[in-house]
Amino acid sequence: MKCCGETGVRAARSGRGGAAYCARVARLRRALLLLAAAACTAAALLYWRQQTDGSATRPLHNVFSGAEPEWTWLCRNERCERLPAAEMSSLQSLPTCNMLCASTQLWPQPTGPVSLATAAVPVSAAGFALEVIAAPTHDVADHLEDAFSILREDLRTLERQIGDTKRGDIGPAHEVIVRVSVNGSQDVRMRIDTDESYKLSLRPEGSTLVAHITAQSFCGARHGFETLSQLVWLDPYAGSLLILEAATVDDAPRFRYRGLLLDTARNYFPIGEIMRTIDAMAACKLNTFHWHVSDSQSFPLRLKSAPQLAQHGAYGPGAVYTTEEVQAVVRRARLRGIRVLLEVDAPAHVGRAWAWGPQAGLGNLAFCVEVEPWSAYCGEPPCGQLNPRNPHVYEILERIYAEIIELTGVDEIFHLGGDEVSERCWSQYFNDTDPRDLWMDFTRRAMRALERANGGKAPEMTLLWSSRLTRSPYLERLDVKKYGIQVWGASRWPESRAVLDAGFRSVISHVDAWYLDCGFGSWRDSSDGHCGPYRSWQQIYEHRPWVEESSGGPGVGLTGESWRIEGGEACQWSEQLAAGGLDARVWPRAAALAERLWSDRAEGAAADVYLRLDTQRARLRARGVRPAPLWPRWCTHNPHACL
Amino acid sequence: MERKDKIICGILLSQILKNTHGSCWRVGSDSTIVIVARAGPLLASQYVCNIKMGWHWVLLASVLVHSARSDVHGLKTNPDTYKPSWVYKCDPEYGCERSDQPSQGHVNATNVFKSLDLCRTVCGRFGGMWPRPVTASLSQNTIKIHPNSIRFDFRDVPLEAKEILVEMTHITIANLVAECAGNVTDVVATPVVVRLTVKSPSLTLTWDTNEEYYLDVQSKGDIVTVHISAETVYGARHGLETLTHLTASDRPVYSTEQRCGLHILAAATVRDRPAYGHRGLVLDSSRNFMPMVDIKRTIDGMAATKMNVFHWHVTDSHSFPLESKSVPQFTKYGAYSPHELYRTEEVQELIQYAKVRGVRVVIEIDSPAHAGNGWQWGKDYGYGDLAVCVNAESWRQLCIQPPCGQLNPANQAVYRVLRRLYKDIVDLLPKPALFHVGGDEVHLGCWNSSEEIVNYMKHKGLDTDVEGFISLWAEFHSKALQKWDEEILASGGEKQPVLIWSSELTQPGRIQNYLDKDRYIIEVWEPLSSPLLTQLMRLGYKTISIPKDIWYLDHGLWGKTKYSNWRRMYGHLLPREPTVLGGEVALWSEYIDAQALDTRVWPRAAAVGERLWSDLRSGFAAAEPRMQRHRARLLARGLRPDVLTPAWCANHDSRCF
Repeated sequence: MKCCGETGVRAARSGRGGAAYCARVARLRRALLLLAAAACTAAALLYWRQQTDGSATRPLHNVFSGAEPEWTWLCRNERCERLPAAEMSSLQSLPTCNMLCASTQLWPQPTGPVSLATAAVPVSAAGFALEVIAAPTHDVADHLEDAFSILREDLRTLERQIGDTKRGDIGPAHEVIVRVSVNGSQDVRMRIDTDESYKLSLRPEGSTLVAHITAQSFCGARHGFETLSQLVWLDPYAGSLLILEAATVDDAPRFRYRGLLLDTARNYFPIGEIMRTIDAMAACKLNTFHWHVSDSQSFPLRLKSAPQLAQHGAYGPGAVYTTEEVQAVVRRARLRGIRVLLEVDAPAHVGRAWAWGPQAGLGNLAFCVEVEPWSAYCGEPPCGQLNPRNPHVYEILERIYAEIIELTGVDEIFHLGGDEVSERCWSQYFNDTDPRDLWMDFTRRAMRALERANGGKAPEMTLLWSSRLTRSPYLERLDVKKYGIQVWGASRWPESRAVLDAGFRSVISHVDAWYLDCGFGSWRDSSDGHCGPYRSWQQIYEHRPWVEESSGGPGVGLTGESWRIEGGEACQWSEQLAAGGLDARVWPRAAALAERLWSDRAEGAAADVYLRLDTQRARLRARGVRPAPLWPRWCTHNPHACL
Repeated sequence: MERKDKIICGILLSQILKNTHGSCWRVGSDSTIVIVARAGPLLASQYVCNIKMGWHWVLLASVLVHSARSDVHGLKTNPDTYKPSWVYKCDPEYGCERSDQPSQGHVNATNVFKSLDLCRTVCGRFGGMWPRPVTASLSQNTIKIHPNSIRFDFRDVPLEAKEILVEMTHITIANLVAECAGNVTDVVATPVVVRLTVKSPSLTLTWDTNEEYYLDVQSKGDIVTVHISAETVYGARHGLETLTHLTASDRPVYSTEQRCGLHILAAATVRDRPAYGHRGLVLDSSRNFMPMVDIKRTIDGMAATKMNVFHWHVTDSHSFPLESKSVPQFTKYGAYSPHELYRTEEVQELIQYAKVRGVRVVIEIDSPAHAGNGWQWGKDYGYGDLAVCVNAESWRQLCIQPPCGQLNPANQAVYRVLRRLYKDIVDLLPKPALFHVGGDEVHLGCWNSSEEIVNYMKHKGLDTDVEGFISLWAEFHSKALQKWDEEILASGGEKQPVLIWSSELTQPGRIQNYLDKDRYIIEVWEPLSSPLLTQLMRLGYKTISIPKDIWYLDHGLWGKTKYSNWRRMYGHLLPREPTVLGGEVALWSEYIDAQALDTRVWPRAAAVGERLWSDLRSGFAAAEPRMQRHRARLLARGLRPDVLTPAWCANHDSRCF
């Protein structure tokens, strides 16, 4: 499929114009031609250099009109090479060379067959039009329209970055008609059983391009839009958007839960930061925004059903999330194929927010709130734990759960939190009961509160963080049909594997691979902290716990059944992170996780992964995200040279 | 813990005394006491409290209220009146702490403040100042002021120094306005008169510049009088900087109010001088380009921290973004794009920008190694190879990281080209010009791979062994320095020492043969375990210390390097020797660009800033509240510093250790 890539824009610039920028010549013929051209150029250069070598040195300045550097990129041996523009008769920009030369630039890499043209045509954001061919409901059709507007808005954002670049003579922009058919799910939400697969084909038809996207759900179709947008790029030299002339992509994710956790309790993040994070997730086809909204440090979620929690728990009136804001996040996420999993952690990881019980006549809702010495009663200051024997606690939890389900529309997955209970805290008050029995009892009662909040029905998968409760002998007492375990322990801990072997559905967040907060030292002293070092994107990418040998073979549990890994999640805890630093901490590392979970290719961080991720980073950058660079810009300019 | 005894238990006891229903019992087996006191409806509070008696006695005291309504469903407060607002109380010994309960309306108790920043400004012996001054005595009272009512009196300033000092005061006003995010809404007419006394008319900024200042704030009646007295304008600038550290806004961080008032300490006396004359920050703008606006913001952070040397590692083998009017090829062949270079006019502006902030710009043109892109045009212009191994594909044999590139010492044209570049730099830098020649990480294998260089060495009678290449390397520096000197002299200046990185060339035994101690100041970047700094001190070399395993800001992101948090950076002490001029903290930019610049640099660079200015023996714990205040200050001035802790810890000094 690869042919005469770098001639695309050049031909256009030299005025041969029209739709046929790139004659479809056979690969061999093209190579021969190129060789001949290169030989001629080299001979000419040599001749010229010999001429100049003999003569006196040329003056250093006034040779050029200015000090403007200009580079051009040439595709040779499936690699883009940077050359000074002065040495070439025509210019090709780096993005265009990357898109047309060698490997695909899609992220995450599709799992089915992909074929891409190596010729490009100009397009404009305004030239994209949607035709909904089939949709099971009006709701699905409306969502398709809205998701398509997002695609167009993303393209417009890209177009705005053209600035005052001179527009090359590349002919008029082509129209792109996007025909989308959704056959299947009437539910627009990202559900655990949502079929996210899609098929995309793009073909020139006369002077327009026609894209066909077929999917079984709105979310699948939306992923198709996302892939389509990745076939479009901005050519700074042409001053125009370009699109591959033809493409077919057949794609479906390897894992159905692909998450990113953001902790907004240790430090508060303004809503705009969350919105931008959702956008970046969508660009990488991550599908779960796990919002760890509260913790012992603060409770910024202003619930209508329990406003006291934020009143006593928020850092200030400017550090709350109103229900309207949460709804806006949910709406933004839904149009991007993302579920919002809002977690109010309990029974531990609570604090001042729950300290108003006595004054309201409800008795102690929480114990050990901000108690000293903290190190005896919790993992990090301040402490706090719910009162498992106070029925009011469960009434309030029920209302919180009901409001969360109402706000997010997510009712088949729920997250109860449930980690790091201090047994010592509870034993002070209930010396008649084993604290872990109390904990088990709390979990059951919270589960019943959740069922009541969910119309009498348990969600299909209720997640708990892995903890001492998810170890034997307590693990056996948890209902394997109801609970899923988010495994955050290190991948080599036996209890991390025991959960999988016991047949629980699980979401993997191994601290040694997918914790984004590690590696910044302790925030209480000058030590290295508990979970260093920093996890590089390569480590995140190469972590594939499901292929590890278990007792019954790769990914097979004790009972002979396969591990039920629903997917994975990168966790960004915020003890040492606040607004302003979020993007560079999370991106592009979360993008590496996204491809691991979507594509799960057996290869590690191979050369093409570097190049595609670098391209994806540029896409995120164009959408207003501030991702960290992979390497020095020179390595971007010279693909493969740093590998 | 002991602090709790005083603050909270004081309150608790008074409440128990008032309230006859108080009762106390002991539960559990591990020394825990719970007091539950039933108070009247007005005392609707819960206190958690501890007492250090022997070891961990924990006293939990809950003051419960009988509420008329115990029905949980009847409890909804009206969301419209909802306000989780807090006040902050200062304990002079332990710092600022948030109230236990959200407060309604304002507080007028002493030592209770509406904003954390204001609490910190008052609280503790050194308030919110960073770096900590040598001595200070601060009032516990504050007065509300407005930037529009501040007048500066320049009568005691020499005419030559007045213009720059006026500019410096403009920055002070801008920094004060920034405390209120650009709008001090509480307008008060209280006159503030700042009398500035500067003795020297000199505007030069060197290691010998006297940066000492004396600051005095008094308020009598309804007038605030400030006197700043210094030998030089730079000392006076530091005094102005400290003046802004005595002020804070009363608007809490997480507030929704528009209203903002600015407060200053009613009285203060500060005497201050730096421990080290060289307090620097290295920024690498070659691996990844840093836009000028980001560099300026970095200099704002340095000024806030009284750091005084911006060491600009502007070129490397990756790119050459510094425009040279005489040799336009450098950027033509070396910059990443026309948008990613520093125009001469921009650099001039930056140097001036830094100067009025008390910061000297040191330009580093790294050579002979770390030079490649920007130098690859020699042949086309008849100069031969100016650099060798440039962008070589088998980089692992020829340099430590791609792209390779080293100047060609065998080609005499290199020195001619260098001289033209040096001329442009001499024209840019303020006199006396401080220049950094680089000089690190020469890869002998690269030079050895060049026939031209090997032939040159044979011709010169040098063996192509390590010592032969070291000689060649030293010859390069000697010739390059000669060119630099020629340009300095031509511009009417005097010969000055230049900075050079430590390397194989600066090892004891070699350095004495090759580098004159009056001409080179050695910037030692070896790890803490290395004896080189002490060895060079003994040999009488002037040094600048930058231990890479602790003061490199990019460490922890790649390879086996380790991140140092601010506390570890703060904990490192330099030798107090006259030949140790100071230190630097470095941001190399392989894995950082403008997107992540601020959070990587700040506030950690400020930890090194205080180390070099104050050089205190007390540890990080004592500094932490002031560091939190400084972080908030940097944020207010438009930087994006990393957070140090969860906000809860920032709101509860000394509760998170």
